[in-house]
Amino acid sequence: MRFCPYAHRTRLVLRAKGIRHEVININLRNKPEWYYTKHPFGQIPVLENSKCQLIYESVIACEYLDDAYPGRKLYPYDPYERARQKMLLELFYKVPHLTKECLVALRCGRECADLKLALRQEFCNLEEILGYQNTIFFGGDCISMIDYLFWPWFERLDVYGIADCLNHTPALRLWTAAMKQDPTVCALLIDKNIFLGFLNLYFQNNPDAFDYGLTC
Amino acid sequence: MSGASARSLAKGSAPPGPVPEGLIRVYSMRFCPFAQRTLLVLKAKGIRHEIININLKNKPEWFFKKNPFGLVPVLENSQGQLIYESAITCEYLDEAYPGKKLLPDDPYEKACQKMVFELFSKVPSLVTSFLRRRNEEDCSGLKAELRKELSKLEEVLTNKKTTFFGGSSLSMTDYLIWPWFERLEILELNDCVDHTPKLKLWMAAMRQDPAVSALLTDPKALRGFFNLYLQNSPEACDYGL
Repeated sequence: MRFCPYAHRTRLVLRAKGIRHEVININLRNKPEWYYTKHPFGQIPVLENSKCQLIYESVIACEYLDDAYPGRKLYPYDPYERARQKMLLELFYKVPHLTKECLVALRCGRECADLKLALRQEFCNLEEILGYQNTIFFGGDCISMIDYLFWPWFERLDVYGIADCLNHTPALRLWTAAMKQDPTVCALLIDKNIFLGFLNLYFQNNPDAFDYGLTC
Repeated sequence: MSGASARSLAKGSAPPGPVPEGLIRVYSMRFCPFAQRTLLVLKAKGIRHEIININLKNKPEWFFKKNPFGLVPVLENSQGQLIYESAITCEYLDEAYPGKKLLPDDPYEKACQKMVFELFSKVPSLVTSFLRRRNEEDCSGLKAELRKELSKLEEVLTNKKTTFFGGSSLSMTDYLIWPWFERLEILELNDCVDHTPKLKLWMAAMRQDPAVSALLTDPKALRGFFNLYLQNSPEACDYGL
């Protein structure tokens, strides 16, 4: 689905590694019955290859692509450095839920000061890592898997209306600026107006939300 | 000197020195199911290691430098590198050490192991909830939830038609989920596998594995630990020593 942050992770990895692929978008509010044969709960993203092998859970799908395809490796080779990236992912685990809760609260006209505070705290933890490492990206001086795994939620902060949560985390702001320079991130950046159009329809429970912005 | 049956280190204890060359250290606790995962992998791969037990009810201040979350297990090697989160420690050991590979080399088979492991993800918190509430209220709701999660695993074994979750021999996923199955009997939750015959067979097969049987915890000691742990006793982690 064009606006799903989890699927965004997989599309970033496909692009970064130059893997030839086709995309089938699923209407998440009106799922095709056959889709449950691809994923037991009808979630995305799911990878399917020509051997009919199915892989799901965004992180598992991304690691599968890195393992299965040649070219640029997004995870480090060194077992400790690989473990380090996976430990960093654990530090991130509250962010998706908190950003979504903020979005829903704001869209429903509710207060979300507590949620934003909690999100800022998570960002502080990530800021500390960048400070301690003294590197631009989370995996070092070059972009790597962990940066792509984090990115989709940071890209959405602005359109969700919570970009001010980065106010006290300068290293994280530098990181987002550096990410926006990455060719892969750039190529998949979602137009803000189209995203807002999607969000408007989504929160009106309109099943056409997912296709907003498509001309045909 | 420290090892599997050593008293745990608590607040006020001196931090341990660096890890000697040729060894890897695991910060553990004798009754922790998460740490048991790491110990199983160390055993299964024959990796030389030393164990430092941590008193989880009275943690040493220095332990937060090993893991900011203050949890076990944590691995520390002779280069001073620290790895935490049980599943991450297990994967690290499999990648960093030679010998029998517990995760498959094939990317799809490896992804399958991780997808199966995801199916297990709700079990630990359900078992903990049950442990906390078993003496009080009616736990039939919790047990029903647990049965539901276990039937997902039964489905995997049924579809794969193999004894173990990775195939015909034991592999990473089997070790990662085992510690909670070991505890089912002591927690009187064995009836939760009544409708999952393949899971029952799997449990029996697991008990035959050398690493699993070497690390089986004495049920009496586990019961003693649970009682003290639920009372927040600082003696819990050293029960039986």
